[in-house]
Amino acid sequence: MATFDVRSTFAGRHVLLSGATGFVGKVWLAMLLDRLPEIGHLYVLIRSKKRPAHERFERALNTSPAFRPLHERFGADLSDYLERRLTVVEGDVSLPGLGIDPAVAAPLRKKLDLVVNFAGLVDFNPDLRDALASNVEGAVHAADFVAACDHAALLHVSTCYVAGTREGRIPESLDPTRTPNGTPFDAERELEHLHALVAETVTAADDPAVHDEIREQIVARLERRGLAPKESRIRAMAARLHRRRVKEALIEAGTRRATELGWPNTYTYTKALAEALLAARAETIPVALFRPAIVESAESFPFPGWNEGFNTSGPLVYLAGTWLRHIPAKHYNKLDVIPVDHVARGLTTAAVALLHREHRLVYQCGTSDLRPLTMDRIFDLSALAHRKHLRTHGATKARRVLLSRWDITVSTPEGLLSVRNIRRVVHQANRFLRHGLPSKIPHEVREKADELAHTGENAERRLRQIEDVMDLFQPFIHDHDFTFECRALREVPIRDPAFRFDPASIDWRRYWMDVHMPGLRRWCFPEYEGKEREAYQAPHPVTVVRAEERFGIEPGRGAGEAARS
Amino acid sequence: MSKTPATSDRAAFVRAEGVLVDRGVLSAVAYMAAHRPGFRERGLRLLQTAAAAPLFAALGQRDRSLGNRVAHLPLRDMSEDRIAILAEEYVEDILRDKVLDTGVELLKGLRREGFTVVVLSEGIDEVMGRLVRSLGVADEVHTNRLEYRAGRATGKLLDPVVGGYEGGRFVRDWGRRRGLDLSRCRAYASKAPDVLLLSAVGEPCAVNPDFTLRKAAREANWPIRDYPA
Repeated sequence: MATFDVRSTFAGRHVLLSGATGFVGKVWLAMLLDRLPEIGHLYVLIRSKKRPAHERFERALNTSPAFRPLHERFGADLSDYLERRLTVVEGDVSLPGLGIDPAVAAPLRKKLDLVVNFAGLVDFNPDLRDALASNVEGAVHAADFVAACDHAALLHVSTCYVAGTREGRIPESLDPTRTPNGTPFDAERELEHLHALVAETVTAADDPAVHDEIREQIVARLERRGLAPKESRIRAMAARLHRRRVKEALIEAGTRRATELGWPNTYTYTKALAEALLAARAETIPVALFRPAIVESAESFPFPGWNEGFNTSGPLVYLAGTWLRHIPAKHYNKLDVIPVDHVARGLTTAAVALLHREHRLVYQCGTSDLRPLTMDRIFDLSALAHRKHLRTHGATKARRVLLSRWDITVSTPEGLLSVRNIRRVVHQANRFLRHGLPSKIPHEVREKADELAHTGENAERRLRQIEDVMDLFQPFIHDHDFTFECRALREVPIRDPAFRFDPASIDWRRYWMDVHMPGLRRWCFPEYEGKEREAYQAPHPVTVVRAEERFGIEPGRGAGEAARS
Repeated sequence: MSKTPATSDRAAFVRAEGVLVDRGVLSAVAYMAAHRPGFRERGLRLLQTAAAAPLFAALGQRDRSLGNRVAHLPLRDMSEDRIAILAEEYVEDILRDKVLDTGVELLKGLRREGFTVVVLSEGIDEVMGRLVRSLGVADEVHTNRLEYRAGRATGKLLDPVVGGYEGGRFVRDWGRRRGLDLSRCRAYASKAPDVLLLSAVGEPCAVNPDFTLRKAAREANWPIRDYPA
């Protein structure tokens, strides 16, 4: 059987990455630069925001710990190394032609061998407009861009959880004609329907009656606060409130449509829609859909424990270290966690298959079929890791002695000590303190009660946030049990073991106790607590080359503007 | 039968409990039972350990294998992860202070004399294996092993159970596999059921022996070594 050599496959190849500043994108990019110096050239598609695209990317390169191995390896020479291998392309996946200046796009289309689309919105229930732009139209624009290239292929990063409310073993296949609950599905018509839904929701929110109601609310609020109802102030507040109302309506509209069709949230629904749209294009362009499961801390690259942001296991594991002792989850349900560096290896594997045109349409990248990790085990390991940490680092004696020895319990969402029930009790207590006390009580008692109620209201707010997080995660930790088949990646005959996708090598106990939990504690928990995250600053800040410089083009009007025009 | 080459032609067999450490298996089991998830489960398993204690003591003088099996029952349904982590904690927080310095010196001396030191312990590998390996005074460690199914302990010990009358058979088999002359080998133990282990070698020594072993050692004219208090 012929095997693929990763180095020779990538040698001289030109690859465009969109969404390269995301968690997975950064790690894959760093891995390519670190391990495959033979690569022809990497183009990184970056959107300009307040800062120009190249500055944003330079900032990521110089401050993200994901690039630490590169800085350590190349030191002051990293700029030179990158100058020969990497170019920043200004663009925006939500725009046609990926928002790339046509003068830049023309030479790119001739050179590119592979486009990898990481771009996407990972919020579970975002504003439907944003989800459509990033998750659906971004994918379609990437496919259209590839179709206009001379010889490029598309590797689109999706998620295993497009499985929605399906149960059990999830094969590496795609049926674009049915939703997870069996509803007939036509992706193109669904996209039209969503655009109509967005327009309808926005129009409904623009009704003069809605504006009047908002205005009345604001005036009443200002009067309650004893502020003068100035017209300019009312207008500014009304505009803000209206925007929020529209956003909330669109969040709700997206979630409603997703659940109607059998997806737990807008994220998985729009990702699935994008897959269906791309599948229809698979006959004309080489395309592969790459579905990672729950991507978590790196096992070894860029360094053990690297993680960032609001990932899936992080908040759950964080809660296991608080005084909340009941988490709604189902015993023996699997949570398909995969370290980010394993995902990066999987991506390399899928890319190799795609570059050889011996690819499959779907590659799932998880652990549940070969190295399953159950909810019980996750909470057991998390409790043990917290115990280990709290015994020596607990802030108070109660945390060191009691909390460290008090394990979290996996229970039903309706359990007696569920977050919802605790919040209800706190709410009732607050109500009593605010309104239930007799009117003729000493002033000091009233003050104390108000103080207590204030603390209680803060606790209630926090509990409400936790409850919302639980609701978001419930489909994954309680409602459904998935086993994602991940054969396709394992079957790609990669010659060099260092590049092979090998989830069987993961030792969960070592990973969870010594890698993942310390990683979360260092990189994610501070964020949950509203604290400053550990900063990283490259010892030798690097600069990058812009596409205009690379191709000798006059700096244009800005990619977005060019594309729109 | 194929022979496994020994690192030297003389071996010393040492029972850890009483010679190298001053703690028995029940202490480790109680520690783990006290740190199971759930307060109810902790209470129940601690009671079970307490109930096993007199049985273990009574059986200790007769059938230590059965005693060991009973002693480890409270670990039933505990996850392998928890046992491993708690074992690490127990070793570092409790057991390391119970290591007998004289025992460590004894084993070091044996290695200096060229003996292959084989430590036998009725504790489980997660605890005693970890401790003895970390001390770096033994060439081999043979401990009891818990049976696990789907990542959880069944509460049963896998055969052969260390600590019973099988000690003698173990030494003979070990010596035969390596082609050793057992009359030139040594053994050190402190409990009565180890009498067969001691009698299997040419140079037995009772260390801090209990009443029955002390009597047997005197009758057999074996050297008796009591550690200084």
